[in-house]
Formats: sequence, C-alpha cells, structure tokens
Amino acid sequence: METVQQAPKKSVFSDWRVKLSCAFMGLGQLFCRQFTKGALLMLLEIGFILFLVFAGVENIIGLLTLGTTEGVPIMGIEGDNSVSMLAWGITTVFLILFFALAYYANIKDAIYTSGEIGKGNRVKTFFESCQALLNKKFYFLTLTLPLLFVCVFNIMPIIFTALIAFTNYGGEIVPPKLISWTGFQSFRVIFTMSEYIGTMGKILGWNILWAIGSTFLVYFGGLGLALLYNAKCLKWKRFWRIFPMFAYAIPSFITLTGFYFLFCDSGPILGVLKDWGWVSENFTIISFDSVWSLRLLGFFCCAWIGVPSVMFLATGILSNANKDMYEAAKLDGANAFKQFWYLTLPFVLFATTPVVISTFINQFNNFSIFYFLRPETVYAPGYFNANSSDLLINWMYNLTVENRLYSLGSALSLILFAFMAIFSLIAYVMSPAYKKEDTYR
Amino acid sequence: MTKKMHIRPEKAAKTALVYLLVLFVSFIFAFPCIWLVLSAFNAEGDLLTLDGFFPQEYSFDTFRRLFTEVNKYDYRRWFTNTLFVAAVSCVISTFLVIAVAYTISRYRFKSRKAMMKATLILGIFPNFMNMTALFVIMTQLQLINNLWGLILLYSSGSTMGFLVQKGFFDTIPGSIYDAATLDGASDFRIFLSITLPLSKPMIVYTALTAFVWPWADFMLPSMLLVDKSSWTVAVGLNSLDDSEFSVFAAGSMFVAIPIIVLYIALSKYLIQGGSAGAVKD
Repeated sequence: METVQQAPKKSVFSDWRVKLSCAFMGLGQLFCRQFTKGALLMLLEIGFILFLVFAGVENIIGLLTLGTTEGVPIMGIEGDNSVSMLAWGITTVFLILFFALAYYANIKDAIYTSGEIGKGNRVKTFFESCQALLNKKFYFLTLTLPLLFVCVFNIMPIIFTALIAFTNYGGEIVPPKLISWTGFQSFRVIFTMSEYIGTMGKILGWNILWAIGSTFLVYFGGLGLALLYNAKCLKWKRFWRIFPMFAYAIPSFITLTGFYFLFCDSGPILGVLKDWGWVSENFTIISFDSVWSLRLLGFFCCAWIGVPSVMFLATGILSNANKDMYEAAKLDGANAFKQFWYLTLPFVLFATTPVVISTFINQFNNFSIFYFLRPETVYAPGYFNANSSDLLINWMYNLTVENRLYSLGSALSLILFAFMAIFSLIAYVMSPAYKKEDTYR
Repeated sequence: MTKKMHIRPEKAAKTALVYLLVLFVSFIFAFPCIWLVLSAFNAEGDLLTLDGFFPQEYSFDTFRRLFTEVNKYDYRRWFTNTLFVAAVSCVISTFLVIAVAYTISRYRFKSRKAMMKATLILGIFPNFMNMTALFVIMTQLQLINNLWGLILLYSSGSTMGFLVQKGFFDTIPGSIYDAATLDGASDFRIFLSITLPLSKPMIVYTALTAFVWPWADFMLPSMLLVDKSSWTVAVGLNSLDDSEFSVFAAGSMFVAIPIIVLYIALSKYLIQGGSAGAVKD
C-alpha cells in the first residue's frame, strides 16, 4: 500500500507498452492486441530505415556539398547534378520530418491505449479506429491529401527557391557546372549595385500603386456592377449578365493578346484615331518608352478581365443574405439606401474579405497583364532588364527566364515575400472575417 | 397625391440611368469580342489587312486552315489535351477545395488558425518564382511533357484558394448543424446530406473556376510542355505571330465559346443562394 502512495505521479511513459512503442513504432500497439495497426506502423518504420540506408543519407550529404565531381560531357564523365541533389536533399529532409511526426503520433497513441487498458476499458479495434475518422477526426480525413499536395507542390518549391538565393546558381554557373553555397552574396549584390537598387525602387513603387489601384477598381467595379444588375427596375437581368460573362469566360491569354493587337502600332485603334486626326502620326500606346499610356491600358484590361468574377461572386453573396433582416428593416422604416448601407454592404464586405485579400495578392503578382501587353523585348532606359510598366514579377521573369540569373531572382523574391507576408498578415488578422467568424451564424 | 406625382419622374430617371449604364457596360464588354470574332472570318490572315476595325472581305478560309494544316498547327490535338487536363483537374480540385473549406469552416482543431495563416503566406509567394523550382521538381519526377503533371499542379494549386469557399460555409447558420447532430447524424452524413445540397451554387462556382483555370492557363503549360504534341491550346495559339492573327482569332473562338455556353447555362447556380430560408428561427 505504501509503495503505491510514494509514487503518486506515475509518468505516462512508465507503462512497458509505451516504452516498447518508443523503442520501435507499433510494438506497443501489438502488445495492446491492436495487431493490424501495430503491423502497419512497424512496416512504416522498416520502410523508413531501408530508405535512409539506401538513399536518404546520401541525399543529405548531397544537400550539404551540392556535388563534388564536375561532369565533363565531352570526355564522357558524368558528374554530379547540383540542382537535382538540392531537390532530393530537401525531399529527404521533408520525409524525415514526416517520420518524426508519425513517431510522435505513434507514442501518443500507445499512451492513450495503455491508459484505457489501465482503466479496464476495451481496446478499440482497427475497424473502430477507422470509423472514428468519419466522425470525430473528420478533419484528419479531409486535410491529409491536400496537405500532402501543398507540401510537395507549394512548400517544397518555396524552400527550394529560398535555398537557391544562398547559392551561386545562375549566369554561367548552371549544370553540368557545380553549384556551391555562397551565403548572402546575392543579397549583397542587390543592395550594393545601383542598377539593381534603382530599378527595384522604381518597380516596387509602381507595383504597390498598381496593386492598390487595380484591387480597388476590380473590387468596387464588381460590387457596383452586381448592384446595378440587381436593380429592381432592370428587365431581362439574365440577358444583360451575358455580356460580362463573355469577359469572364474568355481565357485571359486570348483577351490580353486581343487587346495587344487592338492597341498595338499596327492595330485598328491607333489606325482609326490617326485617320480621324485625333493623334499625331508617331503616337504610340505600347512601346518601350511609353509609361502612362501602357499603365492605363493595363488598368483597363485588368478591369475588363477582373470585374466580372467579383461581380458574380458578389451577386451570389447578395442572394445568400438573410431575407428576414430586410423584412425587419422595412418594417422599421429603413429606406433603400439605409438598407444598403447598414445591411447589404457590411454583409457583402464580411463575406468577401478573403476575396479582397486574394485579389490584392493576385494583382500584386499579376504576371500576365504586362507580359502579354509588353512591347517587343526592348528594355526601357533607366531600368535594368525591365520596362517601365513591368511589375516585380515581370522583372523576375526577365531576370530568371530570359537572363538566367537564378540566384539573384530568388533573393529578390525572398525580399518581396517578406514584404508581402507582413503586409497581408496584418490585413487579414485585422479583417472582420477573421475576428468575428461566427457573426452571421 | 402630390407625393405620388413627385416620385414617378424620379423613378423613370433612375430606370433610364440604370439602362444607360447597363448599355454602356454591355458595349465595353461586347465590342472586343465582336471584333475578335469578325477578325476570325477575315479572308486574309494579317492584322494589317483590317480596314478600320473590321475585315474587308469575309470567308471561312481560316477555319479550314486551322483544322487541315496539321503540321503547322495541330489544333485538334491541342484541344483534346486542354479538355483532358481541364476536366480531370476540375473533378479533383472541386472535391478537395470543398472538403478543405468545409473542414476549416466547421471544425475547431489545434492547428486550424496556423493553417489559415500558412495558406495566406504561401499564397503571397510570387508564383512565378515557384515555377523555376517546380520545373526542377517536375523534371525529377519525370512529369515534363506529361499532362498528369499539369493535373497534379492544378489540383494542389486550387486547393490553396479554399478561403473563398470557407467564407461561404461560414455564412451557413450553425443551428442547422446543431439540429442534425441532435438527430444523431454523423459528421460525414451531415456533410453529405446537409452541407452539400445547401452549397450547390458554391460547388458550381468552385467547379467552374477549377475548370477554367487549367482551360485558360498559359504559364504552367508553356513551361512544362516542351513537346509540340503535348501542347495545350494556349501554348499553341501563343506560338502564332501577328501575321497569323486570323488563325489566332479563329482558334481562340473554340476555346472561349464552350465556357461562355457553360457559364450562361449555369448562371442560375452561380447567383442563387442556398442558405436563405433553410432555417426558420
């Protein structure tokens, strides 16, 4: 009796089955008579150990060295490919992290099950554990696959890009040449060379102006159109909605190429304006030294493409508004304007806050507008590898794809990312949809 | 009496203004489309042959060339590729987006807020920079020139956009769920027989956007599809220069018209709401 009282705080790890699970995944579960689960977990660990032995360790070493033997294709020497070594190194790190998570879950599961046995409860069968996925742990079921996708196709490329910023990849140094880690060299180049910092300042300024202006234009344009098409006095609503639907439906590469041809030097708009004598013979809208004509054209095209999608979303949300609220407001004597200002607008703003943020981010990184509208590849005077209408993302495209300066482009995108991340996190955390999620329940 | 007389001209003016605005908006949206369609019937291919805005002579010649000059433009192949990628990724991503959005909206679990913040941060990352890395990763996975590689990318990419659908699910009254739980329905059943029917318009919206992105995307296929036989319409049409302007216009019609028809047919679902009136307090 006394011995039990002397040790009142029994550690959760003291059960021998938990210790077994700590030693090897699934062992504890086997001794809790959960044979299927235990066997699956043991297979997982055996597979992981085999992976480490046959490829994992090698991949980690490759990530640290980025290759040691340089390939010489002419002499038939097949060297190391630094880029693929980087990719597989990152993958291996990911797999190790996943395994660590699985191990942690395995120990927690063993603690839970042995606790249940200690209380004298019946152990869950494998079938019952699976059933719990449909109920209590439903989120686990729905989120696993998307999380896996996101890890492979979103997070890994980002880490890859971030790591490239600290190498000398790019320019002359591409496989089969060996790449090496250079620390903050690329950042130093960006912040010390005047052509980079000057171009970055100019482009960043225009990019912020563009993002704010076009988000405003698209969002309130869409909201305005939704309200316009919702007007009670308008007949044949479905017919009128067909026109913005054109703009919504036509793929933007067609629209933008179309607009480019419409406004370019040999295009009909300039031709007609010149015929009427409204502009001089050498007037151009899209050329390498045009600034505001091209930027305004960008705003117009962006509105043409973007407004309809916001409009349809807003129309859907308007129809989803609680009808009782309006009836109550009418009974209380609110006029149409008051109903709009105090009921419609807050509700629509609440439901579309994510849209505003995602529109802003999309516009900030709107690659296609000025990619398709840009003049033939001549860079503007006073800019390094860019045009005056280019956004940062277009500049990065010019740097990486057209001039192959990978590490510089990556460093630039890291700077940009830090800037955008802070901004939109603040915006989102402060938005009403985040603060009071349950307001309209 | 006097009051009534006063309102009528005001209302008429408002109606006139609404119609004027609607006509103006319709013109802005319709004109470039009409221009593009008419250009497709231009007897000669070059942009410079247009007289003012419109062709001097109309013919079906461009369409004949689009479908018969296979070694120059293998349009039928491009079109089948595009349709395949768009249809498969539409199904996969609709399923994923709805499931994720519903889960995040309805459940409160440990890493929920962290996940939403992480999604936002990931969305901010300039997606072009991902693409250099994506190209390397897809090369390692041997998914270059492979349409399934594109499908994977579109499915995972559109899942990141779940916040819109989450915003919709947030507006479904929680009392519906409470009632169903009291009646003894499991969470999976609640999702199947209550949430899904209520969110039909949102599902249609999701499916449409999930279809349109791969259908209309240029960046990813231009990067991952090097082989001419695996090209999608976007890459193929973009390879044409301005002397082939009519071919471009004709080719783009077959891309645009199916979606326009789809949208017009489904516009009811896009606009109709499901939640209003489902619960009477």
